Amino acid sequence: MQKSDYKNMWVYIEHDGETVAPVSLELCCEIRKLCDVTGEKLYAVIISDLPHEEVDKIRECGVDGIIYVNGTGYEYFNTDAYANVFTVLSRKYNPSAIFVGGTIFGRDFAPRFAVQLDTGCTSDAMELEYDPETGDIQFIEPAVGGKIMAVITVPVMRPQVGTIRPGTFKYAPVGAKENVEAICEEISFDPEAIRCKHIDFIPDDMDPELDIANADCIVCVGNGLKDSEHLERYRVLAKLLGGKIGCTRPLFDRGILPYKLQIGQSGVMVKTKLYISFGVSGAVNHTAGVDADVFVAVDKNPDAQIFNYCDYGIVGDMDEVCDELIDQLKARQA
Amino acid sequence: MLKILVCVKQVPDVDLVTMDPETGNLVREGVPTLTNPLDLNALEAAVQVKERYGGEITLITMGPPMAESTLREGLAVGGDDAILITGRPFGGADTLSTSYPILMAANMKGKFDLIFCGKESLDGATGQMASQLAERFDASQISCCYSIEEITDGKIKATRTLETGKEIVEATLPCLITVEKDNFYGRLPSLKAYLASKTAEITTYTENDIDGLDMNKIGVPGSGTIVPKIYPPELPEPGQIISTGSAKTDVSKLVELLAEKGSI
Repeated sequence: MQKSDYKNMWVYIEHDGETVAPVSLELCCEIRKLCDVTGEKLYAVIISDLPHEEVDKIRECGVDGIIYVNGTGYEYFNTDAYANVFTVLSRKYNPSAIFVGGTIFGRDFAPRFAVQLDTGCTSDAMELEYDPETGDIQFIEPAVGGKIMAVITVPVMRPQVGTIRPGTFKYAPVGAKENVEAICEEISFDPEAIRCKHIDFIPDDMDPELDIANADCIVCVGNGLKDSEHLERYRVLAKLLGGKIGCTRPLFDRGILPYKLQIGQSGVMVKTKLYISFGVSGAVNHTAGVDADVFVAVDKNPDAQIFNYCDYGIVGDMDEVCDELIDQLKARQA
Repeated sequence: MLKILVCVKQVPDVDLVTMDPETGNLVREGVPTLTNPLDLNALEAAVQVKERYGGEITLITMGPPMAESTLREGLAVGGDDAILITGRPFGGADTLSTSYPILMAANMKGKFDLIFCGKESLDGATGQMASQLAERFDASQISCCYSIEEITDGKIKATRTLETGKEIVEATLPCLITVEKDNFYGRLPSLKAYLASKTAEITTYTENDIDGLDMNKIGVPGSGTIVPKIYPPELPEPGQIISTGSAKTDVSKLVELLAEKGSI
């Protein structure tokens, strides 16, 4: 088969039986635009039952069709059964591309079915473009710690498989099509053949300090921080501003702050009114995760990339600037 | 006795890699290398399993001859045996054509019960290798493992970290595991083990040494993806920089600006 024989793009709809994961809707919206460019159809793939009102949300994203998969083996997410669905369906319908949200589950099973289908898989693209000359999707993503942007393509094999991180694309539904094709598939996976079985789930205690995605103000501490003993002043500042503390990846790597406070493409994507970074260099992987009304950067290196993303920047010692800011804010509030 | 495979990778220190503005190529010459940090957490998990249940740890990597130093580092902290896959035809591989020769080379040493690898690499950072290796080895898969509860009767019970909580799972062997750092911080070698690792024998396989290796499935020809282009990220215009030399003056200017904006 020629690669031009593979047509239409699919988005895997991740859900918990009650609601659709936001990343799946974001992907439907983004891939709708891509399909409009390539002239292909967009299909959502829903495995097991989902309430009607949730299916309507998917329709609103402008899908051309929905593939409903039912059968045994899908009670809890498991890599074996879910990878098998896409291998079976892909061999039957030959889509040109399959997109999967870059959640823990998505990142588990998508690369697996890519091997089963002997095709290329990419992860974490931030932009998707179509090259009409080759007919390939260009998956554009930061590489080498955000120093460069790399264009990645799947030049020969099909389907093109991509996992995309939650929050990368905007949820902007274009409205439902008049006719949405419905394809029903019965694909059963023997529950006994599932090699990794779900036993139990223990939800995390909800610590409000760790829920920073929509905090009004975020004080973000980067690798410029000397050690954990210097951290307290940033907590004080965050509290003064009615905000929360966040960090970049190196601080998580150094064991100073937990993963849930890591802001960026591979951590939390934040939307905030005021964002103040201290000692953050400004790698693309981090800045891609920040959507701020006002962005302030403090760093001692005047050439730091972070200053390209800020509204206001102060070149100086992070601790000194933080202490001064605390003093002046206290004076204002007094 | 458990046969344990640990996959490791030597990576450049990405903080020090630069891009040649003329050619657009990455400048890696003279850049120091290190063992991918998350691979050391995976190795630690393997060593803990070996201490608890007994077993033998084989380290495996693919890369240039200098990647041997990463294997020696692993031998110093608990590895028993090491395999280096090296040779020009393996170069330029993506995850599809890296996972394949790792399977084929590991098969030369028999069947493994447990396969450990890092969640992602510092340089490529696709995070795809684990799933693709699991598929190649026809193994079950526990990613983001937080703790290993028990290994008995060909099964492993473990706790994994998900976005909103912990999932307890039970998987059949062979099983591929990636770990969270929490309980698997790496250890330092003993002096004796460190010295022994320096002279330990390492099995080196080139493309000619691996039984049944399909040359079409390795290196660039076996890759699903290519990187036709790299370029520096487009940077927005810098914001308003306040730099008077006095933190006090800078901050009062900033406070004034933020107050005007209604941000504070």
